[in-house]
Amino acid sequence: MNCETVGKLIPLYFYGELDPQQEDQVDQHLGGCGACARELDRQRSLAAALDERTAAPPAPLLEDCRTGLMAAIQASPRPPRVHRSPWASFLETLNGIFSSINRVPQPVGALALVALGFFGARLTGAWNQAQGSVSVSSLTPGGDVFATVRSVHPDPGGQVQIAFDETRRRVISGPMDDASIQKLLLAAAHEENASVRVESMDLLKSRTGSSEVRDALLNAAAHDPNDGVRLKALEGLKPLAADPQVRTTLAQVLQNDANPAVRMQVVDLLTANRDDSVVGIMQRIIQREDNDTVRLKLEKALKEMNASLGTF
Amino acid sequence: MAQEAAGAVSARAGPHVDSLIRAAQQGDQDAFAQLVRLYDQSVLRLAMNLLRSQEDARDVYQEAFLRVYRNLDTFRFDCSFHTWLYRIVTNICLDHLRKRKVRKEEPSVVETAQGPVDRMDVVAEEGPAADPERSLWNRQLRERIEGALGDLTPRERMVFELRHYQGLRLRNIGEMLGTSEEAAKNCLFRATQKLRAELGDFV
Repeated sequence: MNCETVGKLIPLYFYGELDPQQEDQVDQHLGGCGACARELDRQRSLAAALDERTAAPPAPLLEDCRTGLMAAIQASPRPPRVHRSPWASFLETLNGIFSSINRVPQPVGALALVALGFFGARLTGAWNQAQGSVSVSSLTPGGDVFATVRSVHPDPGGQVQIAFDETRRRVISGPMDDASIQKLLLAAAHEENASVRVESMDLLKSRTGSSEVRDALLNAAAHDPNDGVRLKALEGLKPLAADPQVRTTLAQVLQNDANPAVRMQVVDLLTANRDDSVVGIMQRIIQREDNDTVRLKLEKALKEMNASLGTF
Repeated sequence: MAQEAAGAVSARAGPHVDSLIRAAQQGDQDAFAQLVRLYDQSVLRLAMNLLRSQEDARDVYQEAFLRVYRNLDTFRFDCSFHTWLYRIVTNICLDHLRKRKVRKEEPSVVETAQGPVDRMDVVAEEGPAADPERSLWNRQLRERIEGALGDLTPRERMVFELRHYQGLRLRNIGEMLGTSEEAAKNCLFRATQKLRAELGDFV
């Protein structure tokens, strides 16, 4: 590097913005060049002089700004919630689900409808008119409206009545189809709100016949950031613990999950279906398990299976 | 000093900030207030440094955070909140800076009964035991610095302020200003050249 190049790089060098290779080259040059070393000194003095001009905002100004801001926010209308969409779109999708109606032998109940409410809240699109067997007491054309599901009343005939708040209380009623509820619950499994995800795991537990449901549970058990959701998903996987794919995921969770309660739940699931591969998994994991309670559980499980505690 | 500001901001990044953002997006005003408090000192400091006026800084603060509040649902966690916030803040500050360049400047120094007073001199830094000679020198230095900074283009000023006083990386600065790291580097270089030229005899 020559002096001209180094000269251009001095400010970047000073602020640590050069890549390691360039930084090395400049270092080396500076080691042997007095002129450039003085350039660096001048850069340092400039920076120091500039630092004389400190400007911490005075505390009263900051407080004033904060108060002013919150006042302005409280005075302004609330911005729409994330993922909340026009009520019209909610009705449209609701209608889409209801239009393939069959009578269900037993209503799925309030929890499902909570999921419905949340699922509906994630929809986008425009609603045009009521179709099919959904009867809506009145329609608000267009515009942004927000809904909160308030109550759900299943009746013995397999119909469900949902009450939700819009700008005035409205009621929608229609029968519900089982498979559709499942779809909603699967959608709710991806909902941002962890407590909705927990609920949907709970409901999916009873529907593990479908591979979509199994996959949703596996995905949640392995990847959901919320501990409660993972635990619920594992509960749901109990009947499927013999399935090899489930087994593989369980092994991963046992190895990688940060939460000991989750790991213990996995041990429970694995011991429900003992066989050689389970033994192998446990023997491997026990070596690296650093939580005492979990390790004890593993030891106990292995003993019960008449297996040795480790591979030696 | 600038480095600790940058460190402090990044130390606060992470799950806590994310959950505040999500709560605020759901309409939780208290969460929004907490979120604001994590960043507003730096924002106000930036505005003060650039505009040298409490009133203007307050205006920028209000405008920026209101814009954040109204558009919070468009934040999709694809960049850091700090970067997203600063995109808004730098945008508003640059607008103010550009308007100033266009408007005819009133002289900032006015005569008062106590002698000449610089209206732009909003920051009182001297302690109670300040040495008058040192104070004078400091004051002259500050005036020279303000003058030199004022001669930078708005963009150069912004890049310099963010790099030197807020300790942000040029790559991050580029993201905030919607430009490349390379362009930000060139900007910084030009800014330091100009400052060196004007403040040469002081340093």
